[in-house]
Amino acid sequence: MRKLLKKELTLCLHPAAVMMLFLSALVLAPNYPYAVSFFYLTLGLFFICLEGRENHDVIYTLTLPVAKRDAVTARFALTVLLELVLLALVYGFIQLRRRILPDPNAAGMDANLALLGEGFLFFGLYHLVFFPSYYRDVNKVGVSFVKGCVFSAVFVAADIVLCYTLPLMRDVLDTPDPQNLGAKLGFLAVSVAVYAAGTLLALRISQRRLEAQDIR
Amino acid sequence: MKTVLEVRNLEKIYPAFRLDRVSFSLEEGKITGFIGRNGAGKTTTLHSLLGLLHPDGGEIRFWGASLSEKEREIKQRIGFVSAGMEFYKRKKLKTISAVTRSFYEHWDEEAYRRCLAAFALDEEKTPEKLSNGMKIKYLLTLALSHGAQLLILDEPTSGLDPVSREELLEIFLDLRDQGKTILFSTHITSDLDKTADNILYIAGGKLRAEASLEDFVASYRLTEYTEADPAFDALLIGPRRSKNGKTALVRAADAAKLPWETRTANLEEIMVHMEKEAAEE
Repeated sequence: MRKLLKKELTLCLHPAAVMMLFLSALVLAPNYPYAVSFFYLTLGLFFICLEGRENHDVIYTLTLPVAKRDAVTARFALTVLLELVLLALVYGFIQLRRRILPDPNAAGMDANLALLGEGFLFFGLYHLVFFPSYYRDVNKVGVSFVKGCVFSAVFVAADIVLCYTLPLMRDVLDTPDPQNLGAKLGFLAVSVAVYAAGTLLALRISQRRLEAQDIR
Repeated sequence: MKTVLEVRNLEKIYPAFRLDRVSFSLEEGKITGFIGRNGAGKTTTLHSLLGLLHPDGGEIRFWGASLSEKEREIKQRIGFVSAGMEFYKRKKLKTISAVTRSFYEHWDEEAYRRCLAAFALDEEKTPEKLSNGMKIKYLLTLALSHGAQLLILDEPTSGLDPVSREELLEIFLDLRDQGKTILFSTHITSDLDKTADNILYIAGGKLRAEASLEDFVASYRLTEYTEADPAFDALLIGPRRSKNGKTALVRAADAAKLPWETRTANLEEIMVHMEKEAAEE
């Protein structure tokens, strides 16, 4: 798997995906829906898959001495790596923001630990939306991305609306750190569990779909 | 002689095409040419071997094992090149090679350098800067550098200039002498006349012939005539217009029954007449 991940990083990583990591700094912007910075990374993932199609990446990978399912695992490994880097950067910017701009956010979740939890939740669910669709037909990456965009829009809208309407979010999670730290850590733990479960389930479905797919 | 690849009743069904229970085997140390017109099923067959296509039926065994049983081990021993495939067009060749090299246990750096020099490939270039012929040469270089025992090549000589083609055919013959097995599809039947030990001929998704090149060519004769005679129509295979009248193929066993002279047919003549016959059926 190390070799395949190196191949992903060397041959498949699109510069746009790396650039999107730096949009984690949007957490510093006042009154901005920070969940959008998670969406930007999915745009980077879309570029990786799109360029992969143009470069016959799947065919190249499948002619290497690797199992078909390993090609899927490698793409997941690259994705998880990018997401964890993004979330680490988001966490860093949350800490920075606490020091330089401690105001609450009027457009969705505050820059706090619960936002990090939202990130894990977003990506865990996004994997279930995007990857099984993508590995049904790797040549129709645009269709899968549109599904991902719809999911992202619903997620961001729900984040903003629920931060005003749902008491748990409005009164407990959408508050400056370190208020309600126990509840936020609990939410983060649940989100990490959803992330792990969503990713594993998406991986299994995607592997099965690639196995059954005709690659042209 | 060891069997390297055995294909039994391979089926792939599309709405407008069916690969119909294709069966053949490859013996170690032989060059097998895979011929047939466009859309006959050559690429479908070759891509099914590698698992790129998902067959609807049949069995494929490399060295006695199926791809699902020993995928990684089998792929270590196979080199695959398909014309028209362009990997990572904006990456330098040396970058693609470095990644490819890391996957193979028996990568032969000397062979790699030799191929680069023979094909005049510049590692600093990217695939998008290469001509079609050079792209094929690069893919062949990768395939020839990891000690593959079986080379599966989908139209490897298409797009190559005559000199490069001859060089490549010489490399094939050298590889055969080293005990490597080669299966390659081509439209350029003269390449097979020069190199192939065996022939697979596919038409309309069905394998029409699996034979040694000598036996396949010897089983037909070509006749040229100006006036058709209905009495002999049943013996003629795929009559075609020619500059001085008509030509047709005839089974070698029937050649003596014709009133016209016959001569040895080459592979191309056999193929075009058989295709004409199949189209008229």
